[in-house]
Amino acid sequence: MTPLTALLSIMFFPAGLTLILSGMLYEWADRKLVARFQNRIGPRWFQPLADTIKLLTKEEIKPQGLNYILFYGLPIVALTGALTAALYAPVLGLPPIYSFPGDLIVTLYLLSLLTMCTGLAGWNGSSRFSVIGATRSFTQLFAYEAPFLLALLGPAMAANSWVIKDVGVYAQTHWMIFTQPVGFIIALIGLMGKLELPPFDAPEAETEIVAGALTEYSGRGLALFHIGKSVELVVAISLVTAFYLGGIGNPFLFLLKTSVILLMMAMLQSILTRLRIDQTVGMWWRFGALLALLQFLVMVLLKGWLA
Amino acid sequence: MNISQNYVDQIIQKISTWARVNSPWAIHFNSGSCNGCDIEILATLTPHYDVERFGIKLRGSPRHADVLICTGPVTRQARDRLMRIYEQMPEPKFVIAVGSCGISGGVFQGCYNVEGHIDEVLPVDAFIPGCPPRPEAIIDGVIKLLTHIQNGTRPALVIKPGIKEAV
Repeated sequence: MTPLTALLSIMFFPAGLTLILSGMLYEWADRKLVARFQNRIGPRWFQPLADTIKLLTKEEIKPQGLNYILFYGLPIVALTGALTAALYAPVLGLPPIYSFPGDLIVTLYLLSLLTMCTGLAGWNGSSRFSVIGATRSFTQLFAYEAPFLLALLGPAMAANSWVIKDVGVYAQTHWMIFTQPVGFIIALIGLMGKLELPPFDAPEAETEIVAGALTEYSGRGLALFHIGKSVELVVAISLVTAFYLGGIGNPFLFLLKTSVILLMMAMLQSILTRLRIDQTVGMWWRFGALLALLQFLVMVLLKGWLA
Repeated sequence: MNISQNYVDQIIQKISTWARVNSPWAIHFNSGSCNGCDIEILATLTPHYDVERFGIKLRGSPRHADVLICTGPVTRQARDRLMRIYEQMPEPKFVIAVGSCGISGGVFQGCYNVEGHIDEVLPVDAFIPGCPPRPEAIIDGVIKLLTHIQNGTRPALVIKPGIKEAV
């Protein structure tokens, strides 16, 4: 790959501009679906774009008493992590641009970078709300991360490879939603935990702790975190779709499958209420992790028995 | 060069105005009203009126907000807090005074603990009369403010002789 094509792939397609715009489109679809579930009309299609541009043009207030390298650096690192993860993910059903043995683990860590940065940004703040929000972000990260990882390792184990591309190709002929239904449910709910959507929005519960870890952010920093989150939505949804719903393939069909996942997420968002942070942790470790481990065990035994 | 620079500036100005008009995030503060207007504001945010159609969203943090929706007269105790919340909002910011008390002090006018109406403390961009105003009236007021931002005809800030010094 020449430097020019590498630059183009980072700036425009599949990472960069295309990804940010499609992230906004997914975010709009999510908000619109939730609105329709609540019997509202909902936002217009350009709403996330308008929000982002407005935040970018606003003044950025510099609160007193914090580390400014972290304050200005963390939003950039968060967005970079999410965009880099896109290079290894089958966005829009196309095969990933780069791949190397073990890129599944790297991608999952890059996806956690956004949550880590949000937590650190809150911890860096001097406001009590942001510190509580940061604590909750980290607590929740430790809760859903392991089950989510196990849920994505299931298909990888079935495909005998830790390369996202190989798993995607293997999944074209093996729809793993039927062979590993538990893993799919855990991946779907883990996705909602990762994106801090209701019922896992305790870290940014606006009725208790104002806006959680991002309370002190205004303007550009907030916009970068928002963009990062919508990019992460696209990347994570593509990963789950490619692993469980028929792998890398026709972009149109892939879009349809991601919409189905989005619809399910919007439904869960609107019918469930916010869990307390201890309930979240309890649920993940008592049921999520155990069920994922159980499925893992069954797979290991079956694999050994068949071999 | 100068002309093209000007042209680019104009386009950027247009885009940012468009974004500002289409995504006003609000924060709500009660500086001493009887709660009537606050209930109407909350009613405006319910699914029945659905202000997310216009991109209006209620935010908890003043740092995220563009529009400060104030209700009630300004009491001596709430004055500093109101100003502090206003100061914490990033530019460009707008203020809407909801209800008769916010406009003139209403029935609380002349009370021992009341500083006055909101216009004496903050530069208000839109007044919504009523005791309390209906949700339709509140939406109408917000849309009027948005059209003013769109046309760039935001009324120039008139500092009245009676305006109090900022904190």
